[in-house]
Amino acid sequence: MTRYIVPPYLLAHLAAADTERFARAPEAARHGLLQIDEVRAARSEAPPVRQGAVARGAEVERTISDAQGTEQLPGVRVRGEGEPAGDDVAVTEAYDALGATHALFREVYGRSSIDGAGLPLDATVHYGQDYDNAFWNGERMVFGDGDGEVFGRFTASVSVIGHELAHGVTQYTANLEYQGQSGALNESVSDVFGALVEQHLFDQTAEQATWLIGEGLFTEAVEGRALRSMSAPGTAYDDDVLGKDPQPAHMDDYVETTDDNGGVHLNSGIPNRAFFLVADALGGRAWERAGQVWYDTLVGGELSPTASFAEFAAATVSAAAARYGADSEEARATAAGWQGVGVGVEPAA
Amino acid sequence: MMVTVQRSGGFAGLTRTWQVDVAAEPDTESWLVLLDLVPWSEAPAPTQPVQPDRFVWVISAETSPAKKAKLPEQQVTGPWRELVDRVREVSDAERAGERGAAHDPTAPGHGA
Repeated sequence: MTRYIVPPYLLAHLAAADTERFARAPEAARHGLLQIDEVRAARSEAPPVRQGAVARGAEVERTISDAQGTEQLPGVRVRGEGEPAGDDVAVTEAYDALGATHALFREVYGRSSIDGAGLPLDATVHYGQDYDNAFWNGERMVFGDGDGEVFGRFTASVSVIGHELAHGVTQYTANLEYQGQSGALNESVSDVFGALVEQHLFDQTAEQATWLIGEGLFTEAVEGRALRSMSAPGTAYDDDVLGKDPQPAHMDDYVETTDDNGGVHLNSGIPNRAFFLVADALGGRAWERAGQVWYDTLVGGELSPTASFAEFAAATVSAAAARYGADSEEARATAAGWQGVGVGVEPAA
Repeated sequence: MMVTVQRSGGFAGLTRTWQVDVAAEPDTESWLVLLDLVPWSEAPAPTQPVQPDRFVWVISAETSPAKKAKLPEQQVTGPWRELVDRVREVSDAERAGERGAAHDPTAPGHGA
């Protein structure tokens, strides 16, 4: 807490002083007075501590910036935490979905923001020109507006924002290397938690959920519902220009490629479907049990950054056994989910 | 002489390709200058942290000898960016022209 030696009335006197005699003092005093005002305002706004209140730092702290069509980051600050929505729908979508993501991790998994220590959530919208992409740059999420032909703006789907933030969570936890199988797992973890953010926001069970990633990103011209389907990889789109959704749903169809860091967005279909199978078998709200197993796996500290599908699968079974018991429905469903996509894994019991 | 840029990765995981036959372009000389400016042997720069969902670019040219470079999106700057933007612009314009000609039977045939 900042304390001031010079009392405010003296600062005010100095601020009005003759500047021919004092070169810097009046300006310095004016700055000091402004800081006092800010501290006083902060003190009066701080809510009283309530019994059972969450610790400071557990509240979400969002800042949205606008790159205004350039590629300069962070861009112009346009909305901060608690500020009202304006006319820019991309800003509103980013702000709301950041909140939904923070809420899932805090309310369900007890995690305070991406790093577990209340990291502020920053996003930049309107990045680039005709930029048909969104990404996590290690510090913030960045969203383009799409090219208007194939893609609209990338803030239009809650699952996209959840996906990008989940890359941050992975960075701070398992830190899965972004290439080959570990990269496909990294991608899949982002799809899993992206989907769960959306399902949690709309309070959907596994049966009610679409299990689609990036629904609503395509323009009307495209024959496709979404970019990916977790329940049925390979069926999300089939379009003259884009081609057909190339995701495999089973290890038999694993794609060996040098594109896309070794096909991380392709082969993620396999662990995605495994997660869906677990959630589908258990039923109910997927974030409660299937999601809990996946979360426990991420933070459990057992995964190597270069984990293969088999290693990750074994870790999920282990995590399910640890939380629910070796012979539990959850552990059995987890093992069965991986078997269903052709990833060999020993059951827990 | 084909110059090809291929973009993969990105959130959508789509692969797209753009291509220009610079020998058939009216300003071949300026293309060759640009191809020479591009620091082929320095790509990619030493490893930096990967940024998930960014694009990956593969740029190749049928020069003598042939040249090829693979770059993460963050490193497509300066002359690389200029080359990529130019290939995309010309390639898109030519594709649009071909589509127009295909739909209009009275339009003159497309030379390329």
